[in-house]
Amino acid sequence: MSNKKEREKRREQRLQEETKVDAGERRTRLLQFGAGAVFLVIVAVVVLIVVNGNSESGGDAQNLKEVSAVDSLVQGIPQEGLALGDPKAKVKLIEYGDLQCPVCKAYSEEFLPQIIENKVKEGKAKVIFRNFTIIGPQSAPAGAAALAAGAQGRGWEFLELFYRNQGKENSGYADDEFLTAVAKGAGVKDIAKWNEDRKGPKFTGEVEKTTEQAQSLGLTGTPSFAIEGPSSNGLELLGTPSTPEEVEQAIDKAS
Amino acid sequence: MIAMKFPTEATLRRIIAFVAALGIGVATYITIADSGGGAPACLAGGGGCETVANSSYSHIAGVNVAVFGIIGYVILLATAFFANDLARFAGFATALGGFGFSIYLTYLEIFTIEAICQWCVASAVLMTILFVLNTTRLIGYAGTTTTAAVPDQG
Repeated sequence: MSNKKEREKRREQRLQEETKVDAGERRTRLLQFGAGAVFLVIVAVVVLIVVNGNSESGGDAQNLKEVSAVDSLVQGIPQEGLALGDPKAKVKLIEYGDLQCPVCKAYSEEFLPQIIENKVKEGKAKVIFRNFTIIGPQSAPAGAAALAAGAQGRGWEFLELFYRNQGKENSGYADDEFLTAVAKGAGVKDIAKWNEDRKGPKFTGEVEKTTEQAQSLGLTGTPSFAIEGPSSNGLELLGTPSTPEEVEQAIDKAS
Repeated sequence: MIAMKFPTEATLRRIIAFVAALGIGVATYITIADSGGGAPACLAGGGGCETVANSSYSHIAGVNVAVFGIIGYVILLATAFFANDLARFAGFATALGGFGFSIYLTYLEIFTIEAICQWCVASAVLMTILFVLNTTRLIGYAGTTTTAAVPDQG
């Protein structure tokens, strides 16, 4: 019944089937892994979205941080509006920023203090903050509130304190309560006048004007810096410098 | 029986390589435009790209998210050059991760940042196409062996 030929034939068949089963098993395993990966990614995306939705929105009006640090940073430096430094300083360093912008916050904390210490306090330059509102609907009212604080000689305290207590962008934290807390923390004396000023056409109009100016200069991001001095070629754009030293050199060059 | 109705693996690999190359281009543009504090230029006007590029979500641990995009697209491009199960699964897993990440980023754009950047949308669309292609490839060809090791460059 089972001669040699038949046996060989059966053996070959069995081998072929085994290879098929092997490939089939590998395929099943790969598809199972794939399905598992799909499941993991779905879980990860859902978790990320849920965590993002629940995360603290920041900008806590009840609990302002670093009021004294801000005070000591700008104490004793003359201010006019949102200009910080000797009014007669030859070089003007202009920052186009958005109070809601996290990169501006980083610059205000890690970048400007060195320039204020080395150049502004020495009377070599003054820093002027101009609103370039690009983040969201609460950016412009925040900018006008800073200008209104500037009208009472507390503009830079307001800017610095706002940045140090900045919340998550467009999370709605920068409401009247938060702005008022920052103004009080910044040392604005006449809150009633500040309230009137910040909603008035003078400062809301100025926010629009400086934003348009930044756009017409071709600026695309915040913060963007520009410099003007006796040796500069009119208003020169510095972009977003990567080190404070770069700005210090630009100030030296322009004076 | 499935393979008959499917595009051949060589075709899939060629399209994957092409789309991944486009993705590398888009992600590289975003990375370059963003370096130095700028932002990608929005083609149809509007400040969406500026808002997105300036948002705190545009960087993870100081690294622009577009850099992760470049890495993903490069891996996807590489997997198109091999016809084995490792490449098929690596391509699928990378495209799946990229697709999931794109969903998250698009969610952020719409609901948190409230601004849309066309370049990010372009990348999300490319990643979606790559996910579909790589899934098709895995389902159609997992467990098979082919002799062609390099896609036809014609």
